[in-house]
Formats: sequence, structure tokens, C-alpha cells
Amino acid sequence: MSKSDAIPFSQPEENTLGVVVGNAKRAVQSTARRLGRAATAHRASLGTAFLGLGAAIVVGLRAVYGLIRMVGQWDAYPEPFAALAAWIVLAAVLIGAIVMSRVTGDRLPDWMFGLFLAGLAIAFALDVIAIWELQDIGAHATAALTAGMALLVLVALRGSVEILTAAGVVALALIVVTFFDAPLGALGDGPWLATQATAIAGAVLPPVIGVVIVEGFRRMVQVELDRVLVQSTVSAPRFAVGMLASEELARLDLAAEELLDAVANQKTKLPLSPKNASVAAQLATELRLHLIEGRRETWLYHAVSESEQLGKSVTLSDKSSLAGLLDPTQRDGLLSAAWLLVADVPSRQGRRRAAARTLNLQIGPVVPGGSTVPDHKIAVPITITSTGIPRNRVDSGVWGAIARIGRYSDSTQDGSLRVDIECIVDNPADQ
Amino acid sequence: MDLISKERDRLLQRSARVYGLSFTAVAALCLSLPGAVPVPVLLAVLPLLLVVAGAQVTIGASRALWWPLLELAAGLGAIAVVGAFAAPPTVAASLGVLNLAAASLPSAALVLTTSGPRLVLLGLGALASVGAVVYVESSEPAEAFRNGGTALVGWGLAALVTVWISAGVPQVAKRIASIGRAHRAERQASELEAQRRQSARLLHDTVLASLTLLAHSGVGVKPEAMREQAAEDARLLRQLRLGTAPQPEATATGSVPVLAPDDPVLGTTLESVKQRFGRMGLKVSWHGTGQVLLPSHALDAFLLALAECLENVRRHSGVTEAHVTITDDEKTVRALVTDNGVGFDIDDIDEAKLGFAESVVGRLREVGGNARLFSAPGSGTTVALEVPRG
Repeated sequence: MSKSDAIPFSQPEENTLGVVVGNAKRAVQSTARRLGRAATAHRASLGTAFLGLGAAIVVGLRAVYGLIRMVGQWDAYPEPFAALAAWIVLAAVLIGAIVMSRVTGDRLPDWMFGLFLAGLAIAFALDVIAIWELQDIGAHATAALTAGMALLVLVALRGSVEILTAAGVVALALIVVTFFDAPLGALGDGPWLATQATAIAGAVLPPVIGVVIVEGFRRMVQVELDRVLVQSTVSAPRFAVGMLASEELARLDLAAEELLDAVANQKTKLPLSPKNASVAAQLATELRLHLIEGRRETWLYHAVSESEQLGKSVTLSDKSSLAGLLDPTQRDGLLSAAWLLVADVPSRQGRRRAAARTLNLQIGPVVPGGSTVPDHKIAVPITITSTGIPRNRVDSGVWGAIARIGRYSDSTQDGSLRVDIECIVDNPADQ
Repeated sequence: MDLISKERDRLLQRSARVYGLSFTAVAALCLSLPGAVPVPVLLAVLPLLLVVAGAQVTIGASRALWWPLLELAAGLGAIAVVGAFAAPPTVAASLGVLNLAAASLPSAALVLTTSGPRLVLLGLGALASVGAVVYVESSEPAEAFRNGGTALVGWGLAALVTVWISAGVPQVAKRIASIGRAHRAERQASELEAQRRQSARLLHDTVLASLTLLAHSGVGVKPEAMREQAAEDARLLRQLRLGTAPQPEATATGSVPVLAPDDPVLGTTLESVKQRFGRMGLKVSWHGTGQVLLPSHALDAFLLALAECLENVRRHSGVTEAHVTITDDEKTVRALVTDNGVGFDIDDIDEAKLGFAESVVGRLREVGGNARLFSAPGSGTTVALEVPRG
């Protein structure tokens, strides 16, 4: 049989029951996340356009201030027309960038970004030429300093690394020209140095701070999106197939259809080659398992596996699928508590800490006669154990969320938090 | 407080930290330059700046009101020291004070807009900063006016940034919530779609039978029959994929169709079962009633179990003919599947091995029915299937 005769069917990393085949758990989660991300890829920029508008206003104010200073020192310029030219170029670049950012939306194309940077470099060079003979860049530069701050306009439209790199280049350029243009003995001259330092900081720090704000904003949007998407599991039935199941079934159906079609159209010769036969056997097994057993997972399993943030740090052990019995309020409480415990990570330096921050949700087993419960109810014990979360760093909202699940008691174990909750749910036997 | 507000506060806190620290560093640099301020003044100012920096670091992680308060007190104290002991200031000292009053301290505004007391502190901080700058520059009114104005602009800018970010959050929260609603609908739709595919069981049953044959390379079945069967199954799968209700082949032979009255997905006939097995080399003879009226889920289970029994006959009995007798009364529908094949000793054969327990008994029990198996070596096999009508 020729190679082209082979039927394409990629073997999944988990079988259709979600049973672990190799490193399948990761595979499920990465698939879930991939799906989630595909839907949210362009949404990472949600709301940053508004921030970009604010940044443009700040840059505009700064430009007006710089322009006033330029006019004010017109008589002092050795080369006033170079300064004027610098401002004309800068104004054109800024207006162009602001207009294009309104038009193109989420992201500025590479060539436009290049054009923008080139324009800034020209304005910078012209302004430096205009004041070179004064030997005090920090006190007299106008367009050159505004050019540094102008990077703020693009803070929502380009990657943080690009903006930071550009700001670094501007800083370096300012330092280099300042020191090459320094008068004799300037390095021991306090006032001169202070003027230069203040000017350079004022030109370069705003885009850096802007990057920090926009990055934080993007992260906030990402976390909130992740949380809101997972929140939809709260209203799911006791057992759900999850967002992936129908996709998987559709994939298997399609693979079967293609195989059968190939057989019917004689594209695949009969009798089948051993390879194709094993593909058929594999398909049949998966399809059968999927159809007979169905995918029986609880909302909590889906919530954890579909969420980027929870998936990273939450492990769930719920052998009897008792999580499905929780009512929507209790589910919401459990999810909120997990979110508050896991997501409460102060980013940057916390990113390392975040890896160590884990949560283990142990649901069940039900102990008969453990405590007195009303008729037609059973008590499901839920234990939340955590690592890397000191008791005094726990957000106060966590306790309110846990109280919605049921009566609880908390203790500290090896410096980390452990919460035992008694969750009263409807007895499934009575339904 | 909802989670996004917490996230917003965290964002503002972290931004305030970077904002404040970077300008505190510039202020410290200016004041430390040779000749900026006398050495004793510098020795008093630097520790105060360290306190400012420490408070700014903590603001990044803590929401307590004490930290901005401490930051402002230490910063204003540093400015006051310069004003009291180093006036009139040098250019470098003047710039250091300006960096502190117009950029470093205003960073606190980012965490001072969410409540009344915080806003009061914001206003007081701005006024005190302007006042402190004017005090330092008091010997030169023009300079005092300019630097005081700059400090005011610095505070105004920081407050503006804060208000702007805070205004962006509800907008984005609203849009995220609508995405969430869309996602919930998507989840329900996905659940329904999975159910639709799973409930197309009869279709999947014939598909599975074909796949199983192919898994044995299609050996033992005539290639034309195999291809015909494959074409039919592919057609049904295509229909399922395109979203229409797949209808198995029309009965042209005149036999009575068995149609479930409320079967929206997959009406089917005993005839199609018969044809399918016919193609695979098992002749099925029907006896008894030709019309079975059952609710769709019961009909599905019944036909699936029946097909499963016939598959066992085809595979294990060693004969090429099977008899199906269908009888019914008001309460139940029964089918006897009989063959004259090799038979087996029931005690010898693990039922599960035949898929009997799972695919026949299990399915029937789901709809309240049952199945029993009779066989002995050499005398064929009989399976009795039972499904209640209601």
C-alpha cells in the first residue's frame, strides 16, 4: 500500500473516557486551554484601546508643554530651524500614530511601527543638532525628550518587550549624546548632572510605567475572562460532557466517515492493510467507549481542566463524583474560594511563588452516620489543603465563600492552610 | 468586593510601586550629587527617602492606608529638611525636591481614590506637596510659583491616570460578562450537541459494526457488500454531521416498517437491520408481528440489543441463518433470537466476553427491560429480549 493510502487519524493522548493514557491529563488541559485561548486570543487586548487613548492624551499634553518651551527658547537656539523641523516631524509621527491606532484597532503593523520609530529617531536627531552648541541637552532639548515619551502612544498596540526595548534605546541615545555634548568638567558639576538626570528620567520612565500598567491591565482581563468562562460550569447538570466531549465525538464521527468513505469509493483497497485495520479498530474502540459510557465528569472537573489558572495549581480528587451534588450556591462558593486562594498572587515576584502555590480539593468519601443531617440530605466532607498559602495571607473573602459551601473549620498544617467543610446536599437516592 | 475590583486594586498598587520607586531613585540621585545639599542635610534626607521607598514597596502588596500615609509623611519631611537647612536650594537640590514632590509622592494617588478617607488623604497630600515646594523655594517667588505649579500638575496627572484606569475597568468587566453569557450558551449548546450525537445510537451501532469488520481487514465479507455498507454508513454520518436527521435506507421491499411515533432522530426499520446482516452474510428471517410501537428510547435499546444478538450469531454460531420472532401484548414487546448453530455451555462462557452483559442486558435494563440467554453445546442458542411498552 502506498503512503498516500494511509488514513489520517491521530491517536489522542487520552481515551474518550478521560482515562489517563500517558501524560493525558496535561493533554486534556492543554486542549481545553487551547480552545479557550483560541476564543480569547484577540480578547487579551480587551479594554487596552481605552488605556491607549488615555496615554495619547498624556503624550499630547506633554507635546504641548514641549512646544511651548521650544517657542520660549527660540532666540537661544543656535539652529532654530532644525528644532522647528524636529517638531514638524514629531507632530506628523504622533498624529499619524494616533490616527492609525484608532483605525487599525488592536495592533499596529510592523512596518508602521518601524516608520514610527524612524520618525522618532529623525525628530530626536534634528532636535539634538539644534541645541548641540549649547552643551546642555537636558535643559534645552524639547522634541528629543517628547520623542521618548511618545512611545507611550503605542503602549497598548505593541508588545511590552518592544516598547521597553525602544525606551531603552532612547535612554541610551540620550545618555550618549548628553555626555558627548558635555562641557568640560561637567561630570563634577552637580546642577548640570541633576538637570540631565531629571530630563532623561522624565523622557524614559513614562513609557516604562505605561508598560507596567498595560501589562497589569491585560493580566487582570485574562484572569477575569478565565474566571467568567469557568463560572458557567456552576449551572451545569450533575454530570456534564464538558466543552470537549462533543468536539471529540464529532472528531471520531468524522474520522469514521472518512474511513468508510474511502472504503466505499475504493480509495482504500479491500482487504485492508494491517495499518488501516488497526486504525479502524482504534476508532471503533473509542467510539464504543464514548457512546456506551458517555463522559461522566462533574462540573468541578470541567472547571479545573478548562481554566488556565485553576488548572495550573488545583488538583482534584473526587472519586465518587460527589461534586456534582452541590447546588449552584455551594458550587459558586467553592469556585470563588479556589479562585481567591489561587489567584491572590501579587504578580512579578509572585510568579515564582505562584508555582509553589497549590490547592488540593478532596471531596468525599461520605461517612455514614458521621453527623446529624436533615432527612433526605447527606453530608459530603470537603477538604481544602493548600501549600504556599500562609494563614495570614488568606484573603478575607475566602471565608465568606467557604461559608456558602457549609460549616467549616480551619487549621494550619506545616505553615499552610487546611479547611474541612461539611457540605449538606440533597441525597441523590431520594431523587 | 468582587474579584475584578480586587484585581484592579492590585494593578493600581503595583503601578504605584513602580511609578513611585523610579522617581524616588531619581530624586535621591539629584540630592546626592556633589554640592547639591550640605552633607549633614544629606545624611538626614537619605534615611527619609529610604522610608519613602520602603513604603512604596509595601504599597505594591498591601492595601493598608498606613503605607501611603507613611510615604507622604517621610517624603514631606525630607522636603522640609531641605527647606529648613539648605535654603536657598541649589539647582540640583531644587530638582531633587521637584522629582519627589511632583512625581514620586503623587504615585500614592493611584491607591487613594477608592474611598472617602483616601480621597481626603489625596487632597491633603497634593496641597502639602505644593506647600512644601513653595516653602523650599520661598526666596525666589518665580521659582516657587513654577515648581509649585509643576507639583500640582504632577498630582493632577497621577489622579487622572488613576481615574482613567478605574473607568476602564467597569467597561471591560461588562464586556467580559457578556462574553461569559455567550460562553454559557455555548456550553449548553455543546452539551446538547454531544447528546444529539450520543443519542444517534442506532446509527453508531451500524457504524461500529462496519468498523469492526474493517478492523478485521474486512475478511469474510464480500468486498462489494462491504463497500455498499460503508457507503451507507458514510452517508448517515455525513447527514449527522450536516445536522439533518439521518434516515436509514427507505424500505422498498414492502415489509412493514417499524417506526417509533416520537423518534425525531433516527426512525428505523427492522428491514434495515435485516439488510445489514444480509450483506454481512447472515440471513435473518422475521416471524410474528411486523409493527412495533415503542417510545424512541425503548425502541433504540430494543433494536440495539437485537442487532447485538444477531452480531453474536454471525460471529460465533457457525451458521448463516437466524430467526427472530417478535410478539407483543399490552405491556411488553418480546423478541426471540434463535439459531441452530454450535451453541455453548453457558457456564463455560463469560457473558461479559460476548459483550452480552454490557451491550444487551445493560441497554435493556436502562429502559426497564431484560434479556435471558439459553444455550447448550450442539443445540443452538436462543436469546429472549423483553421491553416494556410504557
